[in-house]
Amino acid sequence: MSSHQIQSFADALKQSADHFHGLQQSGRKMIGYFCTYTPIEIIHAAGFIPVRLRGGPGTVEKAYSHVPDFICPYLKRCMENATDGRYDFLSGLVQGYTCDAACGVVNIFGDVVDLELIHAVPLPYADGEAARRYFHGVITTLADKLNAMDGRFSNEALQRSIALYEKIYGIIDQLYQQRLDGDLSIDAGDLQTIMDAGDVLTPEDYLRMLETLKKPPSEHGPQAIDGCPVIISGSLIESSVIFNLIASAGGRVVADDLCTGWRRAYPDYGHSEDPVDRLFYRHCTRRPCPSRSLAVDRSRVLTDLAARSGAKGVVFMVQKFCTPHLADYPILSDELKAHGLPSLLLEIDETWQTGEQLNNRLESFFDMIAASTAEKLS
Amino acid sequence: MNANAKTKTRKRLQSSKELGRVITEYYMKCTSAKSEGIPVGWMPPMNGVIELFYAMDLQPVFPENWSPVCAAFGLTPQNFTVSENMGYSRDLCGYLRNIIGYVHGMIDDKNSPFGGLPEPDLLLTPWGGCVPVMKIFHALERRFPEAKIFRGDLPQVPIEEINDDHIAYVISEMHRLVEFLSHATGRRLDLDRLRETVALSDQACALWDEIMTYRTCIPAPFSAAEMGIMFVMVTLQGTQTAVDYLTMVRDEVRQRAADGAGVIENETFRLFWDNIPLWYNMGLFNYFEAAGGVMVAETYSAAWSIRMDPSDPFRALALKTLYSYPMVSCVSISKRKEMVIKACRDYHIDGVILHRNKSCAPITLGQMAIKRQLEDELGIPSVIIDADHMDARNFSMAQFQTRADAFMEMLAAKKQHRAS
Ligand code: SF4
Ligand code: SF4
Repeated sequence: MSSHQIQSFADALKQSADHFHGLQQSGRKMIGYFCTYTPIEIIHAAGFIPVRLRGGPGTVEKAYSHVPDFICPYLKRCMENATDGRYDFLSGLVQGYTCDAACGVVNIFGDVVDLELIHAVPLPYADGEAARRYFHGVITTLADKLNAMDGRFSNEALQRSIALYEKIYGIIDQLYQQRLDGDLSIDAGDLQTIMDAGDVLTPEDYLRMLETLKKPPSEHGPQAIDGCPVIISGSLIESSVIFNLIASAGGRVVADDLCTGWRRAYPDYGHSEDPVDRLFYRHCTRRPCPSRSLAVDRSRVLTDLAARSGAKGVVFMVQKFCTPHLADYPILSDELKAHGLPSLLLEIDETWQTGEQLNNRLESFFDMIAASTAEKLS
Repeated sequence: MNANAKTKTRKRLQSSKELGRVITEYYMKCTSAKSEGIPVGWMPPMNGVIELFYAMDLQPVFPENWSPVCAAFGLTPQNFTVSENMGYSRDLCGYLRNIIGYVHGMIDDKNSPFGGLPEPDLLLTPWGGCVPVMKIFHALERRFPEAKIFRGDLPQVPIEEINDDHIAYVISEMHRLVEFLSHATGRRLDLDRLRETVALSDQACALWDEIMTYRTCIPAPFSAAEMGIMFVMVTLQGTQTAVDYLTMVRDEVRQRAADGAGVIENETFRLFWDNIPLWYNMGLFNYFEAAGGVMVAETYSAAWSIRMDPSDPFRALALKTLYSYPMVSCVSISKRKEMVIKACRDYHIDGVILHRNKSCAPITLGQMAIKRQLEDELGIPSVIIDADHMDARNFSMAQFQTRADAFMEMLAAKKQHRAS
């Protein structure tokens, strides 16, 4: 994979504001969302462009007229962006129900952005027949709302949208699998850049760019193998800064459990003829997020990832005040410890200022892992 | 006075004193259930499961309700220490930190208030509701591995959008629960018994509504300081005990209203409290009385203002479940706004206290929108009080006094201006 290729994803991110306004001017409608549980295939099938809202680094001032300071920096930044008019290109906001904070913000988003549609999708937590039937109702309601704003949802369109996302997730998943096998030529920061670009491109353009990545040969060969191999887990990391920090402190990310990372790139829609059933299948089987699952289930995912990637520890990089992640941490760290995997919890705020202290804690963590590995070997 | 000193609540209702007996009896029943062979199930509040439990002679226990008890008895710091030592962040909801600390700490101490909580035979883990409640139950599942677990789904849907699909789904979850309970406890559900239980629950709701109506009287016959009466709505809905107790409260409140007996001599300002009370300092409700303010109404009470049709008990319980919890969560801000505006009109409110609750993002989110609507639609001023419903470390009495005093002065100036 060439640095030129990565640069095209980075450029897409840089030019996103112009890109969105260009799309808006050409008559395309964009629907924002926060969490990857949002059934974006439905939005796309109705003829709209799903856009994952990015918070970005910065300060929070105006947003405090709408939200308390004790919600996660990501949402605070999104509200700040909204008050600054940075989401004026949006026609709607649709959010698959995840955490209280995200859905609370959905409730008040209309106070700052003028939108045709604001809707939180009450997704089922259970699986089984009753949940499947209920899911169909939930999707019909969403599709009706989208059609009421000139959408053109149909089952055939949904089949096509699913096929498109299946390809996107398939390619991304492949990259993550390669990384697990130590066979990826780019570092975690670059991989994140590729992922992030998916937030700001139409899925069609994104797929085209991803397809260029499939072409061998790799320029640099497999990933360098120095650094302490770790998994990074958390909700959102919207910048490669964090990955660079880990690298400079002596770590090497070999797998992730991030909402902006591998967790969203789940390619399996099952084989049903009915496209809504296919969505339901993916919804039920996808990699778990703490706002909709048990910590013990996530610990299984993490230990499995560690076994496959050779990770020696887990760095939890959590947005400050993020209830789902903070509430899971004690159980997760306990379970991981029982499997011989040490963990470290770090919290990030809206400035993304990583600072000396964070660096020191990471260095000590990697040193501790190196010392215990050496002890085991001796 | 010490800046963070706890102030004692001043209660005026005789029936509030009687509440102590009801609470003691409820917790005695919880602790004796084990020895009587009655299965104990821990569950979240504000849903239709409680009536199913009473109809099947099972004992419901509410860990969320135990937290205010811990706060009232000054046990929260101890419980917080335990959970924080386990790695639970101070930024998490205080109910979560308290109950997890309790089950990993003093649960075995039989000297705890009311003999403490009996360990659960059954755990009813909610999917839906707020994330902290869900996470409390995940932690309980791990702490009590012997307990039988039911995980029930609940659509997180705003009240104004509830449709037949949501109702049908909750009814199917209720049937699944009955099957689970029958299997786990060997007890069968008698439908007539369920109808009776739902009828009792409905009576309790009707009494609740009637009691709240008397608070529209000027002067108000009782204030938020007496909100402990809500205990029966949380823990005993569907029982004769709740109906009897609420009848007693209703009679007393009705009489006081007829006599024009107010909370204080000169009720000058009628106030509304948004968000959960400070369970470790309920005396705050009385604080405003020195300046002529009475806390006439609060967000919480509306959650019980529903009616239930006993002829279709499963549907009634499904509706109760779907309607109750969004009233105090972030599921529907437009409904919450509507509810606060209506309460302010009905109760002739002069000013609103918005408790910005560090321990509860779901209820706090949207408060600024409520604040604006109050001003725009009714011209009612409000003040934000930064605190925490469980953790006294996030509350400063001095800061509270400064804000509350300034607010009351502002209300007085406004009144004077109007009069002149
Ligand atoms: S899961 Fe956490 S980081 Fe994500 S939106 Fe919710 S609170 Fe914020
Ligand atoms: S609604 Fe608020 S107070 Fe209640 S458990 Fe959830 S976060 Fe805590």
